[in-house]
Amino acid sequence: MNKKVLSAILCGTMIVGAACPVFAGTADGKKIALVGKSAGNAFFEIAAASFKEAAEAEGATVDVVYPETATADAQIKVLDNLISQQPDAICIAANDVNALQAKLEEAMAEGIKVSSFDSAPNKDSRQVFVNQAGTVAVGQALMDAVLDIAGGEGQWAILSATSQAANQNAWIDAMKTIMEGDEKYSGLELVEVAYGDDEPQKSTDQTAALLEKYPDLKVICAPTTVGIAAAAKYLQDNGSACKLTGLGLPSEMIEYTGADDEHSCPYFYLWDMQGLGKLSAYATIALVNDEITGALDETFTASDLGEYTITEADDGGTEIVLGLPLQFNSDNIEEMAKLY
Amino acid sequence: MEKKSLVKKITGSREALLAIILLILFAVVTVISPSFLTPRSLMDMLKNNAVTMVMALGMLCVMLIGGIDISIMSTLALSGMSIGMLLKYEKISSPLLAFLIAIAIGVACGFLVGLVISRADVPPIIATMGFMYVFRAMGYLVSNGGEWAGAAALGTFKDFATTKLLGINCVIWVIIVCYVFFFWFMKWTRTGRKIYAVGSNPSAAEVSGINVKNIKLLVYMIMGLLAGLGGALQVSIYASAMPDMQQGGEMDVIAACVIGGVSMSGGRGSVIGALFGSLILATIAKALPLVGIDALAQNTIKGVLILVVVVVNVVLQRVADRNALKGREM
Amino acid sequence: MAGKSGRSINNVPESSLKRAFLSWEGILLVLFVVINIFCACYSEYYNLNSLLRQMPVYLAEVFLMLPMAYILVLGEIDISVGSIVCLSATMSCIVCNTGAPFIVVIITALVVGTLCGAVNGFILTKFTELPPMIVTLATQIIFRGIAEIILGSGGSISASNTDGFRMLAGKVGSVPYILFLVLILAVIFAVILGKSTFGRRVYAIGTNRLTAYYSGIHVQKIRMIIYTIMGTVSGLCALFIVSSSYGANTTTGNGFEMDAIAMAVFGGISSTGGKGNLAGGVISAFIIVCLRVGLGQKNVHAQVILLILGVLLICAVALPNVVKQIQRTMKTRK
Repeated sequence: MNKKVLSAILCGTMIVGAACPVFAGTADGKKIALVGKSAGNAFFEIAAASFKEAAEAEGATVDVVYPETATADAQIKVLDNLISQQPDAICIAANDVNALQAKLEEAMAEGIKVSSFDSAPNKDSRQVFVNQAGTVAVGQALMDAVLDIAGGEGQWAILSATSQAANQNAWIDAMKTIMEGDEKYSGLELVEVAYGDDEPQKSTDQTAALLEKYPDLKVICAPTTVGIAAAAKYLQDNGSACKLTGLGLPSEMIEYTGADDEHSCPYFYLWDMQGLGKLSAYATIALVNDEITGALDETFTASDLGEYTITEADDGGTEIVLGLPLQFNSDNIEEMAKLY
Repeated sequence: MEKKSLVKKITGSREALLAIILLILFAVVTVISPSFLTPRSLMDMLKNNAVTMVMALGMLCVMLIGGIDISIMSTLALSGMSIGMLLKYEKISSPLLAFLIAIAIGVACGFLVGLVISRADVPPIIATMGFMYVFRAMGYLVSNGGEWAGAAALGTFKDFATTKLLGINCVIWVIIVCYVFFFWFMKWTRTGRKIYAVGSNPSAAEVSGINVKNIKLLVYMIMGLLAGLGGALQVSIYASAMPDMQQGGEMDVIAACVIGGVSMSGGRGSVIGALFGSLILATIAKALPLVGIDALAQNTIKGVLILVVVVVNVVLQRVADRNALKGREM
Repeated sequence: MAGKSGRSINNVPESSLKRAFLSWEGILLVLFVVINIFCACYSEYYNLNSLLRQMPVYLAEVFLMLPMAYILVLGEIDISVGSIVCLSATMSCIVCNTGAPFIVVIITALVVGTLCGAVNGFILTKFTELPPMIVTLATQIIFRGIAEIILGSGGSISASNTDGFRMLAGKVGSVPYILFLVLILAVIFAVILGKSTFGRRVYAIGTNRLTAYYSGIHVQKIRMIIYTIMGTVSGLCALFIVSSSYGANTTTGNGFEMDAIAMAVFGGISSTGGKGNLAGGVISAFIIVCLRVGLGQKNVHAQVILLILGVLLICAVALPNVVKQIQRTMKTRK
């Protein structure tokens, strides 16, 4: 008897639990699934919100789906679920370059359009990639920032996320190439690439180690949101002479940004996050409506954003580049921090 | 004769062995990188490992009664995220209140965990594994599905971690107060001794009139309290609250205790041991990037070092035991 | 006392049908049916086809549950399995990319896994004072660390020749090979644990290690064997993980150990040792797989799914105990 009661209670718990937040999927209209890197990423949420807004204005429904952890394994399970649901398109920010190929190819074979943004899966597993800013453009902006902040010469270091982060690696490689390719950077010496795993604690340890190892270090460049905030806090609290630049969220960086000695970060970069979400939405819808196929040199109109052309990406696939990275400094950060 | 007894004393006590290991580590790191042994660098190290160090005390209590708690970092995320959001949306502004709320949430989480473990006889690892998912998920829900509370949103709360009192950072004062309190609590209070009694032999403790269930409940509440405090510290130190903070960090806390000689089957371990254990881990974390090991190899070296430290500890203990036996044979 | 019959080792098999239904496995079977009905009602995409198509990724983790059950019955734990999967997957991709025949790739994965497991077993049997949790925590960091070093900057590798892996992911009709393999292995592991001398000895060690030792059981030898097999099976799991992604990266297998432990524990295998059997473990594994697929198909937030699993896990272990306690107080009141 008791056992039956017990199983009834168990089932009850589950049904109550399962009745919680469920995204309603309507049958009519285009159905798009937006797959994030992990839950709880403020960075992604901003783009996802404007993606949803833009797509819904066009009459599509958007399901935002998260993997359990920030791994490719977990994204594979999500993709399996999506293939069962047969949405019209999947737009994904990939956790790994190669690992999703099998599933994304399967999805495309089932007639689901696959676009990606923020961080791309390899060229065989996507139809088009919406790049927030050209890799070279980001590398160039960061390199010039380093040169400017260092005052033309001196030691500098990079604080990245993990050794696996594809977009981080692409930017770092671009920076290295630019540095070697131009005489004006010859006074700069890249002493180390450190990895803070996007954890505040480890990033702080790495920043402290960089300062202790290289007392003459002039600039740290952190192309990752968690890393730049942790490093900015450490440098600012210690009143270090070493300055910081990189890629970060304005709302996270507002306390540390300023051209004076009190602030650790004179200026940093990011791209138009809302624009990225919107452009990804329009590109995905264009794919669904067969306006584009993801081939080179195709053009399409992204509503109020204007006309975009598909160009060749560094990995040999195709991409749509949103624009140039935006600079955030003491003049505009107050305003931008309200947006993201 | 006197000298011999000193040697014996040192090799005979676990804490002394740990102190030696720690000193060797310090010496090696200092030789390679002299900047390590400066007051500022050491203060940095303590501050950056405050969360692990404080929570190691709670884990000590839990492990003393033969339990384990792997839900602590989810509790930390839930409490830290909660005050982060409260501060961000200006529901509260007083740092003290924020600390109290974080601690209260931690205690409530610990109470729930303790209740399930002590009253429903669920094995600790299972119960806390379940709560690990539950609390973490609640942390995400509190964050509105992934908002962060950044430095600007935290107002004066983050100043706690940058304020100095008598030349020492407030965060480090928290560590000192916690360790001093627990040293006293575990050694000289009735409840502290009861925890040891329950850990060494639960049935004997039961028979001698100790309410074992309540002690278990209390221990998990202490753990929860420290996890809540850890949440507040984490948010204050890094001036940022994220729902996925410290994911996987519970293993560091457990490792700190085990390195510090706390037995996983209960009954054995000390506050000093936990202190040395967490200091050894902190030193490893601080030293790895400092001594110029390739960034990609740092994790492997960390794992090897943990293994070496626990194995060396076992070997030294065996030697000490053998010596003790030799004395008896004579 | 109906409460514990399925969860203890000295369950004298009773032929009574009622008894069978009241055992933990019986409840799990009922739950399995209920969950499937629930999922089918809840998700319009939930049917045998979609289930069979989505299952392989989850089934790879079910492999890990089988030897993990042995380790739990011993009263121990192995949290390095996820990292072993990572290292084996990495090595098998590297060997695959040298153009070696696929059988060599399979052997590589199994051998790497076995070696890792043997390392765990060696340390644990040489230094018996060390708790398995801390040793496997250290090797967890080390094995994944080695994979990180091998993978280098970029941290990801893809298999250039995917034919072999495609074959592994193949199907008979619509039933994937892996399902057969899981079921076959499950039967083998269950029979050995439940019926053989070896299995009895495992229970004996889990119940009381010292007594087992004094009654002439080679405790350390058995531990060594079990940890090594855990490694081998992790290698097998790695092969199927690679066959779903044609590659490996530094996060491959992250968190698998917890999934495997959760499946085993939900199936009634006690983490304190000496209790439980694999029938429960296998049924519970399928319950969890079906629930995850069903909820996942409706895009329920990943964290909510984990929350439900967490509650389920706690309830599964807590409720029988609570019910028993209530029964006891009722009896004493009478």
